Amino acid sequence: MKKRHLAGALALTAGLALGLTACAPGGSSAAGSSHAVSKDVSGKPVTLKILDFWQGEEGKWMDSVVKDFEKQHPNITIKRTTQDWGQVMNTLNLRLADPNGPDIALVNNGWQSMGTLAKGGRILNLDAYSDLYGWKKEIPDTIARQLEFTPDGKQMGTGSLYATPAARSSLIGLYYNKEILDKLGLPVPKTLADFEKDAAAVKAAGITPIAYGSQDKGSATSILFATQDLYASSTNIGDFVYSSGKVPITDTGIVDAAKDVKKWADDGWFTPNYPGVQYADAQSEFLGGKAAFRFEYTGSLGFSDAQKQTMGYVQLPQVQGGKVVGTGSTAANLSISAKSKHPDAAAAFLNFMASKTAAQQAVDHGFLPLLHSGLSTPSGNPELATEIAAQQALDKGNGYVPYFDWSTPSMIDTIGGQLQQLYAGQVTPDQLAAAGQKDYDAFQAQRKQG
Amino acid sequence: MTSSQVVQRPEAPAAAPAAPGRSTPKRASRRTLTPRVRRRRWLGLAFAAPGLLFYGFVVIVPILQSLNYSFYRWDGVTNATWVGLNNYISFFTDPALLESLGHVLVLVVFFALLPIVLGLLSAALLGRGKLRGGGVYRWLLFLPQVLTSVVVAVIWKRIYGPDGPLNEALRAVGLGDLAKNWLGDFNWALPALGVIGTWTALGLCMVLFVAGVAAIPTELYEAARIDGAGPIREFFSITLPSLRGQVAVALTLTVTGALRAFDLVWITTQGGPGTSTTTPALILYRKAFLNPDVGMAAAIGIVLAIVCLGVALVITRLSEEKDA
Repeated sequence: MKKRHLAGALALTAGLALGLTACAPGGSSAAGSSHAVSKDVSGKPVTLKILDFWQGEEGKWMDSVVKDFEKQHPNITIKRTTQDWGQVMNTLNLRLADPNGPDIALVNNGWQSMGTLAKGGRILNLDAYSDLYGWKKEIPDTIARQLEFTPDGKQMGTGSLYATPAARSSLIGLYYNKEILDKLGLPVPKTLADFEKDAAAVKAAGITPIAYGSQDKGSATSILFATQDLYASSTNIGDFVYSSGKVPITDTGIVDAAKDVKKWADDGWFTPNYPGVQYADAQSEFLGGKAAFRFEYTGSLGFSDAQKQTMGYVQLPQVQGGKVVGTGSTAANLSISAKSKHPDAAAAFLNFMASKTAAQQAVDHGFLPLLHSGLSTPSGNPELATEIAAQQALDKGNGYVPYFDWSTPSMIDTIGGQLQQLYAGQVTPDQLAAAGQKDYDAFQAQRKQG
Repeated sequence: MTSSQVVQRPEAPAAAPAAPGRSTPKRASRRTLTPRVRRRRWLGLAFAAPGLLFYGFVVIVPILQSLNYSFYRWDGVTNATWVGLNNYISFFTDPALLESLGHVLVLVVFFALLPIVLGLLSAALLGRGKLRGGGVYRWLLFLPQVLTSVVVAVIWKRIYGPDGPLNEALRAVGLGDLAKNWLGDFNWALPALGVIGTWTALGLCMVLFVAGVAAIPTELYEAARIDGAGPIREFFSITLPSLRGQVAVALTLTVTGALRAFDLVWITTQGGPGTSTTTPALILYRKAFLNPDVGMAAAIGIVLAIVCLGVALVITRLSEEKDA
């Protein structure tokens, strides 16, 4: 009798499985937004739900922007949901499928996040709003390109606008501790050669030159990406990341950068035992004044008032020709959920997040602004002044390049792992580049399949 | 109807003692009992229905869904493409996944074999006679089992740090040459992870075995002693055979634990340095959430589930066979 039950259960399972396998998973593909768009958002009370990852000082900046917006639009209430970056990114695809999900969400660049969402029709094509508000005219090309996809999701860096920038930027560059440099009588480096001279002198004085740990794969890569920008043209790096298919990885400066970084590691310029040092520990080592330099994303070192007096930031110029090229983008991209019932109000908020008011709020909270100049910088924050100077140097030559890890969904993990192997002497810079190319080719082949 | 029920009732237990005879009584009972038993069975099913429905909804349906997903290439958002068994084929041809399977074998040694050997040893020591403060030892060794795995991982990350307690201790006793970046070293990261697993699983194994030892009749030991058996002979002739059931349970839990290893790895090394500590579960997570390839992730999940089921079946079969 037991056997019969088992057989019955099996039959039922098989039947269910067949029934299920018959239907392919997946949602609607790209839905066009054909409704009329409007700037007029006054009238009925509206609540907008926003999903973001801004905590700490960044959260305070966001709160102040929200407050200013609500003052301007008394009928609109903004409800923030804040989680850490990983939480937001890992659950975003599902949350945007929910009709009661967020109206506005922070979406990451690249194929895996914005590209997939655009292709799947989960975020609105913002072209109509862009025409209405004139976004494409106001946002510089290099930034707008980071937010564009063709509606079929096949091409990145061209096509329709799927997100707008917040008026805050994020660069990768070199932070220095002026106190240490002054004590040793060293100048603030203006070139890569200067930097290496300084670092050697710091090392000779018995101080750690570069605060760095490679235990955490993902964040270990920033030093490589920053150095890479000093070797290749911004066009080449951009074309590689946006998958034009014409530029091999060896033309993106990654081999030269890997050689430099390996040399620094072998010369003992990194934090002692760096393969076992975690990201946060390397950060606090630099903040604690125990190392002279650190390659880092702007806005991620939370400086105290005292540290703002002694720290500085520099965007080193390229080794050949001295042009300033650097990895930089908006600190976050805002997209509107295709399921949002209030797209007009949401678009008004997106417009506000890119406004001069929001940029000024960023500066007031000690962050780099974007899109706007002529902001009043608070006195007593010389650190931010050096970041703004660096950004202006980038602006002047339009030297922004996209984050290298947007090129494929697995690039950051591949390069991070390869970098750890490079330090351990298991791969050469050329092999590191080859592994990156392999990752890239595999992804391109997969993309062609549809 | 009521009268027949009253008459019928004693018959069911009456059939039970006859069971060893098997064939004929069973047949007879079935003929007379079928309608009523069947009705009663349906009634029982009705009572169990809410629970079964819930179980089906949260366990069975997702399993079937995963099975379905595993035949597609799907990014989790847009339309999926049917790829047949391709995901399964690439599971066994992808070098990254094969490498991770190798890592799992190493982890099985640390997560399952070591804790069981050490657990047996400690059970033999703790179980024999009254040990002063035995409860405290048990409590201490069981503690890791109570801690959340994330807490365990964070604690060990500190212990293994370049200037962490482990290296400090080595330096303090003059073994500074042995100090290293435990989690950042290509050769040592995997064993270092394994030791965390051993530490965690030991408590569970020990508590299981100590309880098992307590259930062994003392007469057996007395008889053995009269026959002149020493502690070692006693262990192999009495303790170990009596603990077969417990060992099977411990083995099943810890081996499947090694196969599923994710949380420890994710928090301590993210699969690094390089790819020296990747596990299939880690790759599954990456495929499911970080760079959506839901079909492949589902295929990995299904394969892992089948392997876990197979391991559990083999272990129970082996441990039961000897009993019979």
